[in-house]
Amino acid sequence: MGCAIVVHVYGGTPTEATPQELICIRVIGASNCRYTYIGDVIIAVIKEAVPNIPLEISEMIRAIIVRTRKELKHDNRMIIQHDDNATVIIDQEGNPKGTRIFGANAPKLRQLNFTKIVSLALE
Amino acid sequence: MAVCSTTTLSIGGSVFSGQLRHWEPNESKLFQKPRSRFRCLCLNDLHLLRFRTKTLNFNPRGSLLPSLYAYGKEADDAFLSKVNEDTDEMFDDLMKKYGEVVFRKNDLAVEMAKVASDVKAADIRVLFVKPLVYWTRFFIIATAFSRPQIDAIGSRIRDLAEKKYGKVPSGDAKPNSWTLLDFGDVVVHIFLPQQRAFYNLEEFYGNATLIELPSETQPPFHT
Repeated sequence: MGCAIVVHVYGGTPTEATPQELICIRVIGASNCRYTYIGDVIIAVIKEAVPNIPLEISEMIRAIIVRTRKELKHDNRMIIQHDDNATVIIDQEGNPKGTRIFGANAPKLRQLNFTKIVSLALE
Repeated sequence: MAVCSTTTLSIGGSVFSGQLRHWEPNESKLFQKPRSRFRCLCLNDLHLLRFRTKTLNFNPRGSLLPSLYAYGKEADDAFLSKVNEDTDEMFDDLMKKYGEVVFRKNDLAVEMAKVASDVKAADIRVLFVKPLVYWTRFFIIATAFSRPQIDAIGSRIRDLAEKKYGKVPSGDAKPNSWTLLDFGDVVVHIFLPQQRAFYNLEEFYGNATLIELPSETQPPFHT
């Protein structure tokens, strides 16, 4: 089995006013899960941050994975692969912390009840 | 009538991106001699598409015809020049025939807006977002002033959709500061005032057509 995002691997965030790189620490909803895929909610720590944002380095946050370099196979035999690993930072209620989301999003997010992310996405 | 869809496929290391359309054997240079396995597929275009996707997932030891790959690659250039003329005419015909009818079929959206208005939701907007996004047709954006009110609006809308239209929403089950109900063609956004100002969806979908509602909505309360 190939891996998507392994716990403790860097990933970016495509929303406005959010940090550049995170490390995934844990996957919510699964115990001792080694790999995460699109649609998983993770707990991450900020490793690199751009200036003038409300979040700081070493802050623990929740995020949803929206893009992975590992290909995602759909039921209709289509395979989608992105160029980067990306997440959207959310709060405890599940609402995105940013107001707009950049980059492509997988259609699977809507099936997994993340329509808020899809509705804020530019693409 | 050709029907086109855009898709990106990754098959065996080869990446194809472009427009697929229903294949007619006369047009292909490769398949001068129709093969028996494809002959039956020409009868129904839908089955053709399905079968093609199946063959692409054969095991590596199976006979994957190299001509299938070549067909996709070679046909891309032919597609682009021919598809533009055909698709423009096709879409024009479709819009003339069905464009207005599709726009008018917003009974569900208007009724949901009316239900939200009955529960004293404020600043209700119904946006026709079909030209902007591919995944839905209408947005309903409403403001509620407390979480119990959000819960009440959500449950009334759910009841209406289930009883009258047989639709069950996906989305938030618990009341949230931004509650979203996804009915497929219609997506309902119920905000608290602070969240509505923060996310500002009306500005984001500013190019969407605003649908006029038959009844006026409640004016927002001053806090």
